[in-house]
Amino acid sequence: MKYTFYSQVLNPVLQSIEKYPDRNAFCIDEKFYTYSDFSKRISAIYSSLEKHSTTKQQVGLVINDDLDTYASIFALWLKGLCYVPLHPGWPLDRCEEICSQVGLSLILDSSSKTRYTGQEVLMTSSVEDLSAQLTYTSNVDEDDLAYILFTSGSTGKPKGVQLMRKNVAAFMDSFWQTGIEINEEDRCLQAFDLSFDVSVQSYLVALTRGACVFTIPHGQVKYVYASGLIEDHGITFGAMAPSMLRYLQPYFDEMDATSLKACILTAEACPVNLMEEWYNCATNTEIYDFYGPTEATIYCTYYKLTRGGNNKSLNGIISIGRPLANCIGLILDEAGNELPTGEKGEFCVAGDQVTKGYWDNPEKNESSFFYKEVNGERIRFYHTGDLCYKDEDGDIMYSGRLDHQAKIQGFRVELGEIEFHAREFLKKNAVCIAFDNEKCLTEIAMFIESTEFNAEDLLAYMRTKMPSYMIPTRLFFIPVFPLNSNDKTDKVKLKGMIK
Amino acid sequence: MEKTEIIEKLTSVFQEVFSDNCLVLNDEMTANDVEKWDSLTHMLMISTVEEQFGVKFKLKELNKLKKVGDIVEILHDKLSA
Repeated sequence: MKYTFYSQVLNPVLQSIEKYPDRNAFCIDEKFYTYSDFSKRISAIYSSLEKHSTTKQQVGLVINDDLDTYASIFALWLKGLCYVPLHPGWPLDRCEEICSQVGLSLILDSSSKTRYTGQEVLMTSSVEDLSAQLTYTSNVDEDDLAYILFTSGSTGKPKGVQLMRKNVAAFMDSFWQTGIEINEEDRCLQAFDLSFDVSVQSYLVALTRGACVFTIPHGQVKYVYASGLIEDHGITFGAMAPSMLRYLQPYFDEMDATSLKACILTAEACPVNLMEEWYNCATNTEIYDFYGPTEATIYCTYYKLTRGGNNKSLNGIISIGRPLANCIGLILDEAGNELPTGEKGEFCVAGDQVTKGYWDNPEKNESSFFYKEVNGERIRFYHTGDLCYKDEDGDIMYSGRLDHQAKIQGFRVELGEIEFHAREFLKKNAVCIAFDNEKCLTEIAMFIESTEFNAEDLLAYMRTKMPSYMIPTRLFFIPVFPLNSNDKTDKVKLKGMIK
Repeated sequence: MEKTEIIEKLTSVFQEVFSDNCLVLNDEMTANDVEKWDSLTHMLMISTVEEQFGVKFKLKELNKLKKVGDIVEILHDKLSA
């Protein structure tokens, strides 16, 4: 195989430790740690793992924001084990549900006191550095797991996405083929919870190149803290959610983001207007829009924006570009046939980055993955549930979730289109949600991110742009949209406000 | 404006934004201590404070507001200037 977990992840990090022992690996809560500090903690945790005879590959990891938590990830990986994040801020019930689903028998916890009683707990902050030698368990299969991330299931029970070592190796290989370059001089932002997969990109890209990772402590207000890191420490690279920039937008003119060389926007649809303003603020940056579900390891497509250029967009949302090097992306109809250029269908993805499936969930695995013959080869695909089309150049235009479609009086309506017209007119954020009223008829509710105003002009404008069945029948004014734990607009919460 | 008056007014802003009528402020209180204190409510809290006290914060000032005491301090400075 051209790439392995060792060649793409473990060896480059071990190389960074060897080459740059005195350079900073992390800045956590305003304290710096060198690669040598990092290495000592990995080694100490690795040694104490030896004393725990884990029969299982999967190990729980309490994801505090500290050096020991990051060191635990690498100790587990060097040992051939996989981590399952348990967030200290989640309700204990949810964490215990995860523990029991994957049958965790060992948990690594860097807290001073653990809240887990049903499992063996290794308190990583109290283990001592013994040998300061990093060893690597080499008899590990590429199909073995690297991490399991739990995403909320529509049924209410979280589902565990299993990512194999080869998935992460393929991702890293894909990532570097986009042309983004990071070296030991870079200062990289890590703005995501370790329970969300963009965090893996954020720390791996930095650590495999000897750069420094700047984290955001739990309990800090993310957008404020991130702007402080960018200004005070001259962050050069980072991935962020568009929502974070939307919060910072009122301050763009007083913000110094000139240190940023490259910036990835991800985790939700990326509005073209916001990016144009961000260019004015981050005057030296290249902007990339990366797209991907957790099931295909972090990102599977990307689009590089051009400063002052005519960036491709649909309904005000930037194109998600083309598949990464190790991904195959097709637009398919309901019967699984590839659609011609310009026709909308479901974006389906295949390749080495695609997960082996959900943990112990045969029904979901049956419905989410399928085989299709491509160029004479039978390939396994994942249904992303995203509605897209390819333009003449092969760039993929994102048109929203399949379930962001509604049928109103028999007409198929793209809610994204209505949002687009509202945003155009208002220059404010707007989200549409379809709901069934007491008469079981589907109506469209529109949420506007603003204090209340007379919307007659808006409705009149929309009537000039769209057929009457597409005009929202209910309007809600929300001064600031709620976000979910992944910093995306919380549509579930918005939907709950419809009465 | 006196600090006691600032704290009193700030308390009612916090109680409203974080929907907790029993919230009692102290100088050392941070986002870790208040359940609903996140990016969204922080932004709401800041805009409500700006509106109620008739002040405007710069991003650099927001960066320094780590705990309740910092907010009281900066309001005191701004309002006595």
